[in-house]
Amino acid sequence: MKARTRKWLRGLAVGVGALAALAALAFAIAFFYYDREVAQQFEGRRWTVPAKVYAAPIELYVGLPFTIDDFLAELERLKYRAATELDRPGSYRRRRGRFEIAVRAARFADELRPAQIIAVTIEGNAISGLRAADGADIPVFRLDPLLIGSIFPIHGEDRIVLTPDDVPPLLPAAIKAVEDRKFDTHHGIDLEAIARALWVNLRAGKVEQGGSTLTQQLVKSYFLDGRRTLGRKLEEAMMALALEARYDKRDLMTAYINEIYLGQQGDRAIHGFGLASRFWFAKPLDELDLAETALLVAIVRGPPYYDPRRHPQRAQQRRDLVLRILARQGIVPAAQAEAAAARPLGIATRPSGGYYPAYLDFVRRTLRRDYKEEDLTEAGLSIFTSFDPRAQLAAEQALEGELTRLDRTRKPPGGQAGLEGAVVVTLPQSGEVIAMVGGRNVSFDGLNRALASPRAIGSLVKPFVYLAAVESGRWNATSVLDDTPIEVPLSRNNVWRPQNFSRDAHGPVSMVRALSESLNLATVHLGLDVGVPQVAQLLARFGLGKAPPPLPSLLLGALDLPPIDVAQLYNGLANGGFQVPLRAVRAVVNEHGERIGAYPVRIEPVAPPDAVYEVDRMMTYVIERGTGRAAAARLPRGLVVAGKTGSSSDLRDGWFAGFSGSHLAVVWIGYDDNRPTGVTGSSGSLIVWQKVMSALGTSSWQPPMPETLEDLAIDYSSGLRVTTGCSQDEVIVAVPRGTAPPFLAGCAPPSGIADWLRGIIR
Amino acid sequence: MPPRPALAPTLPALLASLALAACATPVYRPPGGSAGTPVPAPEGSGVPTPVPSTPLPEPAPVPAPVPAPKSYRLGAATSALVSQAQGASARGDYETAAATLERALRIEPDNPLVWIEMGRARLAGGDPVQAENMGRRALALAAGAPREQASARQLIADAQSAR
Repeated sequence: MKARTRKWLRGLAVGVGALAALAALAFAIAFFYYDREVAQQFEGRRWTVPAKVYAAPIELYVGLPFTIDDFLAELERLKYRAATELDRPGSYRRRRGRFEIAVRAARFADELRPAQIIAVTIEGNAISGLRAADGADIPVFRLDPLLIGSIFPIHGEDRIVLTPDDVPPLLPAAIKAVEDRKFDTHHGIDLEAIARALWVNLRAGKVEQGGSTLTQQLVKSYFLDGRRTLGRKLEEAMMALALEARYDKRDLMTAYINEIYLGQQGDRAIHGFGLASRFWFAKPLDELDLAETALLVAIVRGPPYYDPRRHPQRAQQRRDLVLRILARQGIVPAAQAEAAAARPLGIATRPSGGYYPAYLDFVRRTLRRDYKEEDLTEAGLSIFTSFDPRAQLAAEQALEGELTRLDRTRKPPGGQAGLEGAVVVTLPQSGEVIAMVGGRNVSFDGLNRALASPRAIGSLVKPFVYLAAVESGRWNATSVLDDTPIEVPLSRNNVWRPQNFSRDAHGPVSMVRALSESLNLATVHLGLDVGVPQVAQLLARFGLGKAPPPLPSLLLGALDLPPIDVAQLYNGLANGGFQVPLRAVRAVVNEHGERIGAYPVRIEPVAPPDAVYEVDRMMTYVIERGTGRAAAARLPRGLVVAGKTGSSSDLRDGWFAGFSGSHLAVVWIGYDDNRPTGVTGSSGSLIVWQKVMSALGTSSWQPPMPETLEDLAIDYSSGLRVTTGCSQDEVIVAVPRGTAPPFLAGCAPPSGIADWLRGIIR
Repeated sequence: MPPRPALAPTLPALLASLALAACATPVYRPPGGSAGTPVPAPEGSGVPTPVPSTPLPEPAPVPAPVPAPKSYRLGAATSALVSQAQGASARGDYETAAATLERALRIEPDNPLVWIEMGRARLAGGDPVQAENMGRRALALAAGAPREQASARQLIADAQSAR
């Protein structure tokens, strides 16, 4: 009996041993397989460092207008700190208008600039001195470029990738406390947690608790789809074990913090705590307080379910649970947790700046247009852009302020969304886009109206009708147009009867007045005379690429364009008839500092400079006395700007597009569902435009007049020539030499040298 | 925002030119202003332009003013960048030259000399089409400045013969 038992036991042992060996072998093979799999993929992901996107650096030079306050703000933006000793790069000290700055080393597209000390003197609101440490004058010096975001240029994802040093210690502690208490000691899976979860779920009859470790969650996010099968679970466990065997806990925690899914904006997934912090609170992770950190950790469990904007109550309950767990585990004192639980969620309704999705969207678009895909897959790229944070802030504030004001005065009927808008700001000579606002809630709804919302441009088309006329040589600013009712047969039974905005007809009017006051009838008469195809071709040359169908309604702007395309068209007007493709990217540099695929500025003449000058001059009267005059008094004194209002039928869209000597801005306002707004281009959009222009510190439009032209004083209404002071209604236009019209009756100069002289001088 | 160090006609200058018909830079004047278009004189002469002493027959059209020979120079910052770019160009590094010249362009976007330099760098870098276009841009900006117009025309001609 004993012998049989012993034999049986021995047999069992052998059997179990063989089975165990077999299982170990299977496990080893599986482990080996998954280890390779995981290593390949994890390395690929871990080292996919996103491209860093930089704003335009500020170029300092003697004579540059800069107030001491603005300069301090700039140093603050670049995270320079005031110090008594310039002990390390990134510090500065100031005595009144004299700054000594320990500048950090910085990489630019064309050089690697070493860290150094410079002295900047500001006197009378301009830089008056710029010197190196040894006292030598520096002609021009770039401040560090500001990091404005990180993107994966190819799949279009943006992410703020953090290193372990960027992560405040509370965050990993809280994640571990809530999601995976044994993270520091387990080997990838936590059997006890699985058993506990199984027990809880069985008792509840549904899945209430997950037993996944952070490592398993990471594996799931990296490699696996959302299916929950036993096979998947086993695979996930094997991969987790493999990851743990290869990488240390710190690496895994960092990967988790950068990878985990924490929200959704349209079709854009918010991954990683760095971006999530911006997305939910509009501030960087290291500025979050306990309550905010707890909310992010709460969201991990189910971003759509615990969405604090859509489901604030649920989110708050779970946040408070997280706070209790933190207190219970002694990670924070109970009193602090209680105080935090008493706080509101603190979700940002408006971003505080520092996050620019519309502009990054445009960066991706220009990259796709100008660069080869294989060049952009490299890790560690630096993308240098023309982004100007100050212009961006001005544009965001101007738009938001005006839309809020308009929404108050015309409350949209119950539940309908408020007014929306978009702004694009460029430097006309180089075609660089320096600011872009895609909607009023800059961060949240994912629709970039500046690029993706084509809307009817209305009267914005008129300068091109007038330019086509002037270019033909048959018209100039003094020409008399016919502002009378017109019927345009479109097809057999269809007649188009355009009307002026005021419903009045003005009879004969000068061209400069017809443009300034945006007279529809005069424009249609002119456009039909010039030829609609000529206008369509001109639009194509100025950047539409393809001519729109030459239908008569084109003359009044029956053409849907997104604000960026309007900016492209007007950029050619602002740039003297030279077209420059609008762009955001100045250079892309790889991690070795080599430029990849350089795309320097390209220009192309698209219209005679003198014809463009004549039309631009007429457009200054839009502001001076036409549909844009509401802005004239609010612009900086003496600033000369040119522009045009645009309103589509029934006021569904309000536009203003215009430029100074150094900036172009396009503003659109309307509803997303295209219902009438009751706001003309000369109210809402014009006001936003004026505020943006005023904030930019821009210079007057005053290019040299082409030698083929001359200044001429004319009567605004009739277009007839006048002598100074004769007409109440005198404007000075530019016309081709020798084309002056006759004098207005009673306004011809008497003979005599004095008057002849005056004639010259006028 | 960028100042125009080379050409900064002031209101007093315009007024002075009204009185003296002395030298000044012709610029477009904001509509509604009170100063007249200056009558130009050779640059740097400082001598009032002689006023014709015989009245022209009336009502003849007012003769066009003689274009003012004005001239441009580069500001200190731009000038430093241009020499830096020329150095890069001489080394055959046209990409860096172009990037550096774009910095200059952002500081003085209306200075024809910057556009001429950009065009020269493009020509050296083997892009005569852009060189010519930049020459045309410079030519437009150089209205009234014969020396710069001549350089722009030379650039255009060189670019055309390189095509």
